[in-house]
Amino acid sequence: MPMAQAQKLAPALLVLPPDFEAYSQASDQVMAILEDLSPLVEQVSVDEAFIDVSDLPDDPGVIAARLQARINQETRLPCSLGVAANKLVAKVANDYGKGSRKGLDYPNAITVVPPGEEAAFLAPLPVQMLWGVGKKTAARLKTLGIETIGQLADAPAGLLGAHYGKWAADMQRHARGISDSPIVLSHTLKSISNETTYDKDIGDIDEVLHTVRWLSDKVGYRLRKHHFCAGTIRIKLRWSDFTTITRQVALAEPTNHNSVIYDTAAGLLRAAWQRGRKVRLIGVGSSNLQEPAVQMSLFDPGQDKETKLLNALDELREKYGKKVIQRGREVGRQSAFEEEEEE
Amino acid sequence: MRLSIVNSLDSKILIFQGVIYFNFESILSIIIRQQFPPERSPTVKVTVSQQQLAHGLSLVSRAVAPRSTLPVLANILVATDEGRVRLSATNLELGISCWIGGQIAEEGAITVPARTLSDLVNTLPNDPVLLELNPKNQVLNVRCGTSITDIKGIDAQEYPPIPVPDLADGLELNVSDFKEMIQQVVFAVSTDEARPVLQGVQMSVNGTFITMAATDGYRVSVRKAELEHPAASPFSIIIPARALSELARIASDGDQKIVMVTPPGRGQVLFHLRDAELVSSLIEGNFPPYDKIIPTSFKTKTILSTAEFLKSCRQAEIIARDGNNIVRLDIQPAVEGAPGVVEISAQSEETGFSEIKLAANVEGPGLLIAFNVRFLREVLDVMKSPNIVLQTNANNTPGLLQQTGDDSFIHVIMPMHLG
Repeated sequence: MPMAQAQKLAPALLVLPPDFEAYSQASDQVMAILEDLSPLVEQVSVDEAFIDVSDLPDDPGVIAARLQARINQETRLPCSLGVAANKLVAKVANDYGKGSRKGLDYPNAITVVPPGEEAAFLAPLPVQMLWGVGKKTAARLKTLGIETIGQLADAPAGLLGAHYGKWAADMQRHARGISDSPIVLSHTLKSISNETTYDKDIGDIDEVLHTVRWLSDKVGYRLRKHHFCAGTIRIKLRWSDFTTITRQVALAEPTNHNSVIYDTAAGLLRAAWQRGRKVRLIGVGSSNLQEPAVQMSLFDPGQDKETKLLNALDELREKYGKKVIQRGREVGRQSAFEEEEEE
Repeated sequence: MRLSIVNSLDSKILIFQGVIYFNFESILSIIIRQQFPPERSPTVKVTVSQQQLAHGLSLVSRAVAPRSTLPVLANILVATDEGRVRLSATNLELGISCWIGGQIAEEGAITVPARTLSDLVNTLPNDPVLLELNPKNQVLNVRCGTSITDIKGIDAQEYPPIPVPDLADGLELNVSDFKEMIQQVVFAVSTDEARPVLQGVQMSVNGTFITMAATDGYRVSVRKAELEHPAASPFSIIIPARALSELARIASDGDQKIVMVTPPGRGQVLFHLRDAELVSSLIEGNFPPYDKIIPTSFKTKTILSTAEFLKSCRQAEIIARDGNNIVRLDIQPAVEGAPGVVEISAQSEETGFSEIKLAANVEGPGLLIAFNVRFLREVLDVMKSPNIVLQTNANNTPGLLQQTGDDSFIHVIMPMHLG
């Protein structure tokens, strides 16, 4: 509806200017929460995404409820979720859930379609709710006596075939809730970095190196969490006069080991360090991300010590929170930093 | 020796004050000759074919040490030797000599910068080349067609002595067989300078059995063969891979036989060919006990066309090389009349994705296993049979590659672990 017409209809209408930046920020915020849940996220539009949770141990309904609560809480935005065995049914489930919550309140719905019940769930719904069936198709189907998805599923193949050709078979499969379209990773991670701004500018390289150590640990943890190794390590350094430099170096072997990230970042920092200048912000970043792969050794099979140690630490942190285990120097210090994550 | 000349310089210059038109160098040479009356320095005067000379220089140049602290190692020794012309180069670890025919007018020896002589000879026409040494100033005069070049040399006396082998106790090796053995193992050596033992190839000889093995810790290549004549006593040595590669390069099939000698107590091995010789220092240390890690039983046996498999690996490598060099082999046994298949896929975050399906004869359960594609490509490159056998157990245990119907060559690769 054009705005002029809307204002004519409702003279008291409060018109807010569009703020695309705010939308996109909110979108990013929500997508970040989704990606925290699983790396398999397909963002369809600014406010719509599919997540593959097949590999997560919990019941998908429980995951959905927890996710909704987290989004409500962290972003103060309502959201609806549809849970099903494939993208097609999940999408319909979500639309159905949103549509069936009437009233002035936001729907904030969760609809779960258990596996095996796809066809039964879809059957009573109007054909327009099926993905790919628009107004025109719905109208034509109506002339064939097909109004619900169930009727579409049961229609004789010959009848549909005559009108829709090859597409008919797809349409009928979809009407039965069958689809194997995979999650298409829309947002591939390009880099993982962490940076921190000091409360007070720091002129002592040891102090900055200490921060680099801590940031390297965070970058390493996030790389491992996303199942990546980084081929390039960089640092970002902002001096107290706000001039900012970045320095990066390609690694001989991709890594997600904290020690390698730290050694590389520390080397870059030492090379860039200027005596007498003070640092406002320091960041450690990684890019050229790739699947972690280790060439196993013939004579020393099994993982190396650091991989084992890091895996154990990561497990502890997953289970008991990020601060459950820290370097001795870091205990009680983190609160001094204001930290940002970038992807 | 030189210091003493310089020390005595002052007083001697005084003697020559009356003839100050001598420049410093010639004064020096007079001083030297006065102090050390020359034994008549042998000269060199030979005529050789430009082609043979160029070929010989290209063979020995590989052993030249251009940036050594010992300047003479950047030179090639040109010497007359029992009716032929000998060209030699050494970097003290590896030495290569070759002999070419020529007309010898005067016997002698000189060393000249390798690069200068090689570059010059490569530009000369295909005509006889006259090499003539001026023993007074150690300058080698090179004449060919209308070209005349003087190259400043260093006295052959300063060149490291070249061992003269006693070929009587040598081990006879067939050139083409031995070249194939080298080719099938040498690529598997390590480039890690921190582990010198792995930079070499282990050669074990016992009676008529010879085994060569190389490993970089991730793969091991083992090639066995039989000798015509048994060795006097069993031995096991580690030869630098570089030396073997050079040997394979200089040994032409026309040579037919290589005689190998390991002079006792010298830590060296010498390979003698009809017109060339290669001497190398051996690597000290213990070679890893590779026998123990070669699996003896397997669950899945896959037979593939060597050429098809190699081509697929080359294709997959185009994608894999920008990432972590991984290819996945999805080995699928035959089902319901459909033949077995190996799906070879590679993925790189930067470049893209590739998948190739290969028909295969698969016995045993299917398996998804990941390898460094370079390792696969390098071994397939030296497989001679039309089909190869890949045997596997699990995605974290070594896979074994062999030529079909041939136990003489085995190659074991450890898979890559996907994190």
